[in-house]
Amino acid sequence: MSAPPLPIRTDATVVVNRAEGGANRRLVLRVEDWPGFQPGQFAMLSAGARTAVPRTDPLLPRPMAVYRTRSQNGATDLLAEAQPGQRIGFVGPLGRRFELPDSNQRALLVAGGTGIASIYELAQRAQAAGRVTVLLGARSAADLMGVDDFEALGVGLEIATEDGSKGSAGLVTELLESALASGDPARVYACGPTAMMRRCAEIAAGHGAPCVVSLENRMACGFGVCLGCAAPLREAGYALVCRDGPVFDASVLDWERVP
Amino acid sequence: MASSIDLSADLGGIPLRNPVLTASGTFGYGTEFAPFLDLERLGGFVAKSLTLAPRFGNPPPRIAEAPSAMLNAISLENVGVDRFIAEKLPALPAGVTVIASIFETAIEGYAEVSKRLSSEARVAGIEINASCPHVKSGGIEFGQDPAVLSELVRAVRRATARPLLVKLSPNVTDIAEMARVCEGEGADAISLINAVQGLEVDPETRRPVLANVLGGLSGPAIRPIALRMVWQAARAVKLPICGIGGITSADDVVKFLLCGASAVQIGTANYLDPAVSGRIVDDLEAYLRRHGIARVRDLVGALEIPRS
Repeated sequence: MSAPPLPIRTDATVVVNRAEGGANRRLVLRVEDWPGFQPGQFAMLSAGARTAVPRTDPLLPRPMAVYRTRSQNGATDLLAEAQPGQRIGFVGPLGRRFELPDSNQRALLVAGGTGIASIYELAQRAQAAGRVTVLLGARSAADLMGVDDFEALGVGLEIATEDGSKGSAGLVTELLESALASGDPARVYACGPTAMMRRCAEIAAGHGAPCVVSLENRMACGFGVCLGCAAPLREAGYALVCRDGPVFDASVLDWERVP
Repeated sequence: MASSIDLSADLGGIPLRNPVLTASGTFGYGTEFAPFLDLERLGGFVAKSLTLAPRFGNPPPRIAEAPSAMLNAISLENVGVDRFIAEKLPALPAGVTVIASIFETAIEGYAEVSKRLSSEARVAGIEINASCPHVKSGGIEFGQDPAVLSELVRAVRRATARPLLVKLSPNVTDIAEMARVCEGEGADAISLINAVQGLEVDPETRRPVLANVLGGLSGPAIRPIALRMVWQAARAVKLPICGIGGITSADDVVKFLLCGASAVQIGTANYLDPAVSGRIVDDLEAYLRRHGIARVRDLVGALEIPRS
């Protein structure tokens, strides 16, 4: 993959906003001069447009994963959260991407809850390069997002719900355990609740498979200045989720202290 | 209509192309903003506070939203003064005015950091961050005790010939007294206000929202407090004042100038919109044009209080 694009700061226009499983919503934004993005990157969205006297309550923008983009007459659509026609503040794309798997590796993408949004672009690009299996987890069928999109990609797809309402009953990490049992070389990508990612890291390490995770954290800026999004490192000190991540090698993190 | 507007300002011996600076801790080491903004459009910027050795900050969660404000407890995280000099300063475009901010837990530390910065041609001035807990005083901020503040400013004044700013804590009973202490000890300017100490609680978990329990409140919610303190300080001392606190627009800048600030620093707004400080410079010029004011310095202290 080429170098990540420089982020832009602009007002984006909301094109679509609809319910998408559980409390999630799918937001389609039009971003003029979209610089493109790479899998795992995110953007900072704020509820108001940038006006001479900006909206100040709520004050802080929120980090949102970029799900996918589609070019349309020079403009591009992407996803997150607000009202059709509304202008919202936008800074992105930001953060370090997922690296694609090596040619001999299967890509095992494990996602739970809103983490599902972060892995779609990776699934698409990794599928073009090799074998991909996506493992999705949620509390119940109603909380799942993007199942049709993943099916349309033609990737291997397995689902686990805690109440058994779709796919197998149980945790998505159990699907990862069985997927790694074959012993084929694989690279694990995980995005979701901290406990899920931590368990994925343990399972992958148990099978000698490399594992990367995409962390969430509170952020005020998204580009390495507010220092709010500290992720504790195993060695000492902290990395910033926005600048050094959100994608991290699972082995560098001090999982006991990851919020 | 004025054909050319004079935006220039002077902050205690630091000549500024305009009075809009960015505040320490909200603008990193400057280069982080290069994708969004021409750094040379700014009056200048105050870099992230430096300690002698590199420091890690507090554990997360470090930030939280509050009404029109944010609460943060980052603490001392920075690359250390030597790496700042070796790596961060040379990375900045030549036309950028850089003020270094210093932060330590003992007075000797402050003096040593200032000494190292004073040999750097790129450092236009030094700003003392007086909101650090003073270890010898049991954790009270340097800026909360006039005797301790006095000792601190005196020690740093001896350590540097560069223009010296003192950034005052708002967590005091009488800001005028603290301003007079700085003037008496030979500071060249004062910056105010730093963040207001605050606490936020999660009723579900019954815990503080920040790991550090207490944090600094910043953003538009504190602006009236900042204006009040700038106004009080300006009446107490002759030192130039750099106004800080919740500025998000050129109108806000004008408010601080009217209350007696010679320049301002944009803080939390940089997070919401990394290009905001450049836009504020343009909007400030438009304000002056609209009001037929030729020089921005004519606004300083020009608050009109109707006689009743």
